[in-house]
Amino acid sequence: MALVSVSKAEKSYIQAGILASPAHRLDGRSLHDFRSIALETGVAPLANGSARLKIGRNPQDGSGGTEVLAAVKLEVENVEGGTGGVDGGRIVCSVSCSPSAYPNISSGALDDLQHDYTDVINQTLSHPSLHPANLGILPRKKSWLLNLDIVVLADAGNIYDALFMSARAALWDTKVPRTRSIEYKARKSGPSAKDKDMVGGSGDMDVDQDTVSGFDTRHTSGAIDFELPDYWDEGEILDGRNRWPLCVSLNLIPPAHFLDATLQEEASASIRVLLMFSFASPGQPTLQGMRMLGPGELSMASLKALIKEGGKYANEMHSALTSKLRDEDLRRNQKAREKFALGNLWVYIKCASNPVLKIITQLARNGLYGRASMEYRIC
Amino acid sequence: MSDFKMIAFTSFPQYQETFKTPVFEEDGDEMDLDENGFLESDELKLAWPGESLTSAQAYMRGHGTYVDNDEVIASVAGVVERVNKLITVRPVRTRYNPEVGDLVVGRITEVQARRWKVEANSRQEAVLMLSSVNLPGGVQRRKLESDELQMRMFFEEGDLLVAEVQAFFGDGTMSLHTRSLSYGKLRNGQLITVPPNLVRRLKSHFISLPCGVDLILGLNGYIWISKHVKENEREGEEGFDAEAVYSNRNDNIDDSTRIAISRVANIISVLASYSVPLTDTILLEAYEWSVEQEGDPKDLLQDHVGETLVTTVTARG
Repeated sequence: MALVSVSKAEKSYIQAGILASPAHRLDGRSLHDFRSIALETGVAPLANGSARLKIGRNPQDGSGGTEVLAAVKLEVENVEGGTGGVDGGRIVCSVSCSPSAYPNISSGALDDLQHDYTDVINQTLSHPSLHPANLGILPRKKSWLLNLDIVVLADAGNIYDALFMSARAALWDTKVPRTRSIEYKARKSGPSAKDKDMVGGSGDMDVDQDTVSGFDTRHTSGAIDFELPDYWDEGEILDGRNRWPLCVSLNLIPPAHFLDATLQEEASASIRVLLMFSFASPGQPTLQGMRMLGPGELSMASLKALIKEGGKYANEMHSALTSKLRDEDLRRNQKAREKFALGNLWVYIKCASNPVLKIITQLARNGLYGRASMEYRIC
Repeated sequence: MSDFKMIAFTSFPQYQETFKTPVFEEDGDEMDLDENGFLESDELKLAWPGESLTSAQAYMRGHGTYVDNDEVIASVAGVVERVNKLITVRPVRTRYNPEVGDLVVGRITEVQARRWKVEANSRQEAVLMLSSVNLPGGVQRRKLESDELQMRMFFEEGDLLVAEVQAFFGDGTMSLHTRSLSYGKLRNGQLITVPPNLVRRLKSHFISLPCGVDLILGLNGYIWISKHVKENEREGEEGFDAEAVYSNRNDNIDDSTRIAISRVANIISVLASYSVPLTDTILLEAYEWSVEQEGDPKDLLQDHVGETLVTTVTARG
């Protein structure tokens, strides 16, 4: 790919450095060192899960490096009616590239590039073996459509690793709203032909109860719609968040291979092997997908050896990323709690005169503030 | 291979929200500029692109601004400056503004009829005419038709070269020349890019560090770091050896030189990220400091090492 041009002299300088023993890379890293990676989750407030990731950013001014932004948005879709919905939900991924990330290529080439990235991400992540269990809402009726959108803001090499890491982080961060199915039933006391109105109050609406009406002759479950039982709740985490795959890009200058290449290094490598590993259990990478980019060729034997090596790198990436994601969860919980404490204080000040709300604030101080403040907001 | 962890994650810096919403004085007479002129005090004013600065009737628009609806509006992000009635915005980040005589490092992007297009971090691509390069077989040789047909023998797409700004065309495009023995194709090293305003005009932009590393500080922010070539071994002293001048092959570079080149490259990127202007003395001091620390070149990329480097070097300078 001609994302960056290097002269023959630069190319041979890089190649000779990689093949030397000990190997020398342009910035002094060893072959299997990554640049530092900055990661933050929950960057898009309106998304169900999001992450921002930057590989190799300059620590002082934050410039340079490969930067991607990933966001997950859930959408309800009908399974019936030819809208493309699938029972149990589906996953659609797309990658778009900011033109400023690739200032030197034409818009047509940019489209091609986006398509390439989308293809790899979509085919890997929407594979049935990785499908999360909790994307269904109503069997055969409604399900969640999970849209994963990734934007490439800057590319300084190793874009595939960045895409997969950000995708994993965003999916890890994703919360699926809890739903509860609703069905309409005839009132037991007195036959009433007309269906119950949704706004008709709680007495009219039976929620997930197994009492079967004598007038109900349908075989299907009566659930025809759903509601969100707890509006303020973010929801439950997406199932199988430990499984999401990571990509290891091995850049080959035979016989050596190296990781986390810069653009110049990528241009100097004859072939790039992308290995996508998913993690059924921690420390157990399973090969989920594989791509080879570039004009070089590779023998089966060396490919096998590379996959084995790649598994090791994937393990290391996995453990580092998981611990970072847990840290991020912790940090955000902390932040949310601080915000919450502030909110409660505000409640207290605002409602000190109102006796009902005084009780709520009392409750809040006794540690039940989750509920209390929720109810307050409803008031 | 190393005891270091292969991969490490960090966090983005958490910025404090220090933006103040501008307070507009509703009741004040906006046209009353004699009393309360624009930017009269010595305060530092930053502008965003599209930000309205002042009235166009009372002030003139300078660089980095445009007039719309009788208002002077910033077209770049940067510092607002005022000289009498002239308002300019000095951009935070800018491309290279060429001047005749500047030394630049550029990359060939296109081979055209009797000319090469050169990318040199300027607003437009520079032009290198076939008539302004040294041709093989003597400096004073006339150019032939055969030269036109084999232009890729001299420079092809992707090649890096060092050249001087010779003149400007009517549309502001710069024309380069390499008619000197010290100019021409680059090899035996690596390129590093810094903001162009960090490269000051020096007595000489060819710097030889005592560690066996040569530096070419292009005024366009492209810096070539390469293995030192002895003065008497330079190509083309006598007879002008075209093979060597337009060669794509690197010499043998030993490990210590490679490490030194990486070290210099990392020092430059650290200094550039702290916006330290690059001069030969600062680079030399930084290199000496870095060698004293007895670390690998890659250690320089760690935050605290970079910070110590910058404080040490700027304190001495």
